[in-house]
Amino acid sequence: MSTPAPAVPAPGADTEGVQAAATAVARTTRLPGWFVILWRNRKCRIGLLMLAGFILVAVFAPLIAPYDPRDDAFPTSLGPTGSHWLGTTAQGEDVLSQLVVGARTSLIVGLAAGVLSTLIALVIGLTAGFVGGWVDEVLSFLINLGLVVPALPLMVTLAAYAPVRGLWLIIIVISVTGWAYGARIKRSQIITLRTRDYVTAARFAGDGTARIIAREIVPNMTSLIVVGFMGAALGAIGGEAGLAFLGLGDPLTVSWGTMLNQASLGGAMLTGQWAWLIAPGLALSLLITSFTLINFGIDALSNPHLRED
Amino acid sequence: MALLEVDHLSVTYTPRDQPANRAVHDVSFHLSEGEFVGLLGESGCGKSTLGNAVLRLLSPPAHITGGRVAFDGVDLTEADDEQLRKLRWVDLSTVFQSSMNSLNPVIRVQAQFADTFAAHKVPGDVTERATELLELVALDRRVLRAYPHELSGGMKQRVALALALALRPKLVLLDEPTTGLDVVVQRGILTRLAELRRELGFAVLFISHDLGTVLEMADRVMVMYGGEIVEDRPAAEMLREPRHPYTRGLLGSYADPRLPDVRVSYIPGRPPDLSRTHAGCLFTTRCPHAEDPCRTIHPDLLPDRGGLVRCLVAQENRLPVVTLGSAEAATVLGSHFPATGSLDRPADAADAAPVLTVERVSKRYTSRRGMRTNTVEAVRDASFALRPGRVTALVGQSGSGKSTLARLVTGVERPSSGEVRFTGEGGADVRVDRLRGRALRDYRRHVQMVFQDPFSALNPTRTIAYALSRPLANFAGLRGAAARERTAQLLESVGLSPAGQFLDKLPHQLSGGQRQRVVTARALAPEPRVLIADEPISMLDVSIRAEILELLGDLVRERRLAMLYITHDLLSARLLADEVLVLNQGTLVERGATREVIGSARDDYTRLLLDSIPNPFGKAAGQQTLPST
Repeated sequence: MSTPAPAVPAPGADTEGVQAAATAVARTTRLPGWFVILWRNRKCRIGLLMLAGFILVAVFAPLIAPYDPRDDAFPTSLGPTGSHWLGTTAQGEDVLSQLVVGARTSLIVGLAAGVLSTLIALVIGLTAGFVGGWVDEVLSFLINLGLVVPALPLMVTLAAYAPVRGLWLIIIVISVTGWAYGARIKRSQIITLRTRDYVTAARFAGDGTARIIAREIVPNMTSLIVVGFMGAALGAIGGEAGLAFLGLGDPLTVSWGTMLNQASLGGAMLTGQWAWLIAPGLALSLLITSFTLINFGIDALSNPHLRED
Repeated sequence: MALLEVDHLSVTYTPRDQPANRAVHDVSFHLSEGEFVGLLGESGCGKSTLGNAVLRLLSPPAHITGGRVAFDGVDLTEADDEQLRKLRWVDLSTVFQSSMNSLNPVIRVQAQFADTFAAHKVPGDVTERATELLELVALDRRVLRAYPHELSGGMKQRVALALALALRPKLVLLDEPTTGLDVVVQRGILTRLAELRRELGFAVLFISHDLGTVLEMADRVMVMYGGEIVEDRPAAEMLREPRHPYTRGLLGSYADPRLPDVRVSYIPGRPPDLSRTHAGCLFTTRCPHAEDPCRTIHPDLLPDRGGLVRCLVAQENRLPVVTLGSAEAATVLGSHFPATGSLDRPADAADAAPVLTVERVSKRYTSRRGMRTNTVEAVRDASFALRPGRVTALVGQSGSGKSTLARLVTGVERPSSGEVRFTGEGGADVRVDRLRGRALRDYRRHVQMVFQDPFSALNPTRTIAYALSRPLANFAGLRGAAARERTAQLLESVGLSPAGQFLDKLPHQLSGGQRQRVVTARALAPEPRVLIADEPISMLDVSIRAEILELLGDLVRERRLAMLYITHDLLSARLLADEVLVLNQGTLVERGATREVIGSARDDYTRLLLDSIPNPFGKAAGQQTLPST
């Protein structure tokens, strides 16, 4: 789905249509065209704007947040007021400040765990697909194992019994449980790509295996890798929130998950503090929505028929 | 009233980032009931777009921007989806270019027929009707139980044809139905199609770039160039006297390989860029007969000697008269490429020491399915030698073991028995069948390949300069500016000049012929001594095939390369090769000097291959060359 040439070039593919489609897609593999197509898709544009908003908030969190998120010098369990727009927690912290700073955690986890699990998936998937033989058998077994092991219980177990605490533990737990799906897709993609004539041609030109994979094959699966990254990042953000909500997160980090956890522990429902409960949940779903909307655009990137022309 | 009426139809592609492209411009034609009309033109001339417009299958950014299409009195351009649904397949069906993709891979052939019958509420027993239909296209009823992947390309195409005929349509639109198939298989399908049409009497619009097949099959032929119809006349008339210089150029690409003196011509240059407006005739820049008025006046499609032609010179009767298929015709028609028989060859070429020797080589593939092992002998006891400055053609249909031999020669695979020996500089022998790792890489420096499909042989994400720089870096140690300079020289040597224009382009910005030149340049980069060309012209337009052949022929002579030319096309083998080896089911059945093997073929298989070549001139001369397969 990510090859710039049609997946199965029709024999004698000299008809205008095929060539035009290939031309259009190949154009997009260069960065400017790549962005233009994303931007042109209305859903994707909204997603990009939303994500840009979250990133800005996360980057400038110390400037935007009215108070220190850990400052508990305020009256406890306030509803929304003029000085505390979203009220305060049961410990007397400002909810708005926590929400703003929490955006950082979610985005860092999304980015780091997304990159990490995409890397694991790339290395394992590409090696299995390109080398084949018994290496493929062993790696495929690992991939299948990763696919069938239920991720959430494994995450919970790993997070609960790990000797260390902290954000990086969460990131590693999420990456280790979430790479298998991407590896599976990349493996099947490289199996179709490695038999292309241009790969044989590169071998005849004297190129080694590593170079062929990095320079000939990977550029032709860019959009697949991007989709894989987006999926992994999405899963990671949800995973972090889930773990934190269950109380398995890092208690010292301010995140939307820990906010939800504390809101439920602090009896936000009972005290009628709807803002404390809804704000982090809403922020989380908006961030996830923005990723989903961007994915619509990436689909259009790899499939010209989905573009809004 | 005609069955299909197309009036002043125009189709424009309006992509967002590129200028609008008027792919079909003001096309009008009629097609009567039972008529077989060919629509001919090279890639990008708008023929498939026209076909899709007739079926109302255009997808954005293509739009009908003018004119109308009427089928059996119904205006298709105005019809809504429900009206179209009733017409499509019932009265108007189609076979697409690659039926491999038009059959659903996950359901059996029978279910595909059942779907068709169910969608149009045809009563009766599906199996019975489907069997009848398969019999029409000469397929066994067992095919019903097969999945598409279990069938060969030719069989799938026959199934697609049977499906198209399932509801007894009045018009069948065939878009390049045999492109990509073997000559022998193509011959079988076309013969059956001709018989079916006689039996069932449906009309056909046959779209193809292969003039040979179109002229042989059609009653009337329309030639398209740059989105316009430039000539329209009965096939027999067109063969006797084509009136448009473009048609003449296309016809010049054919010749009977059995003649003692074979010459073919090609049309130099590229088709016009349809996103710009052109003042005069679109063909002017490539036309050998262009005159001053041609550059300023756009000719109309006017009646001319029983047909229609869009050419000022022809309308004023000033075209030179030529007899097509003759030796002198190619010279008159512009650039030409003579067969090697008449070329000056280095006298020592025939007995020069061989660079590569293949001795009693066999290759067996063993596949295991459950408890049974299946052994296929792809190549059996083959021996031949490649000598510098000579082209050896390896001829056979698909599945004959040609490509397996190429893989054995290049060291991609090892023979089950026998030897492949390469004689390096200084006379040291290398046993190719025992090479591995680094030694194999060093060997490949001397043996390079030109691939079949120039569209997949170049990485779509890499520039031409990058593609050519890799062998230079790996084998000659050239990097940076030195590599770029050498790359430019290579491009010039394959006729891509000025090279600066091509260096930083991506493959999709080049035409098929230009890409094949780049592929050739890459093969030449390590200065190999042996060149393996695996069907290098079969994916190219007929009008430029001779151009690539000429390039390969020149390179062999200038650089004293030994070339193994793999093909199923005996005409190109006749033009390029000094020696021909005919391969049938893994065994070499005939070999010898090209002219002897092709001129007086002794083996039945060689004769079958010869008879399968589309030969419009054979029909013109009244010789029926259709074999009874």
